[in-house]
Amino acid sequence: MSQRKTIDARGAFCPGPLMEVIAALKLIEIGDEVEVWSTDQGTVKDLPIWVDKVGHKLIETNECDGYWSLVVEKTK
Amino acid sequence: MANQPLFILLCSGTHEKIQIAGMTAAVAAVSERPVYVLVTMNAILSFKKGAESPRRYTGGAFSKLLLDKKAPDAIELFGQGKMLGDLTMYACTMALDLLEWDMNNLTEDLFDEALGLTKFLSDAEDGQLMTL
Repeated sequence: MSQRKTIDARGAFCPGPLMEVIAALKLIEIGDEVEVWSTDQGTVKDLPIWVDKVGHKLIETNECDGYWSLVVEKTK
Repeated sequence: MANQPLFILLCSGTHEKIQIAGMTAAVAAVSERPVYVLVTMNAILSFKKGAESPRRYTGGAFSKLLLDKKAPDAIELFGQGKMLGDLTMYACTMALDLLEWDMNNLTEDLFDEALGLTKFLSDAEDGQLMTL
């Protein structure tokens, strides 16, 4: 069963949330997920592009109360 | 197709330019793009070992915003790019000579080696060169 690690990057500016996700992905197993919470407007556009470029999988993007939640699955 | 290497010639000592260089280098490096940075001229002064933010930076209105709002530190961004991606940092040999510095005068665990401009430009023929 996959595990999910949550990162609260609310208040961090670009490229902080992205770098935190990448660091977290390095530490988890293939099939596990990272969820990031971000108030940075760029994250909601930049993170899906990065995920697509390097070959991971974006599971979901949700707009919450004043922030975005994005979930990435490690695929390699 | 392999990702085209990015070469950044960082000359300016202005905080805002060092910041965008750090952001660009880090994001490109973690996006599976090899990145090579040559730090020279006034820029190298901000990489002096032991210098601490905010005193290591000089800049304008946006520098103040970056510091006040605690944006990711420029020097730390280069470090993250090295740790998480394919980023190579060079110190300009001419700048070191003029300052009478060696690699021990620079931020620890950040620079790979000292390099001359000729070699850097030669290598950059195979990639995209950005000057800041």
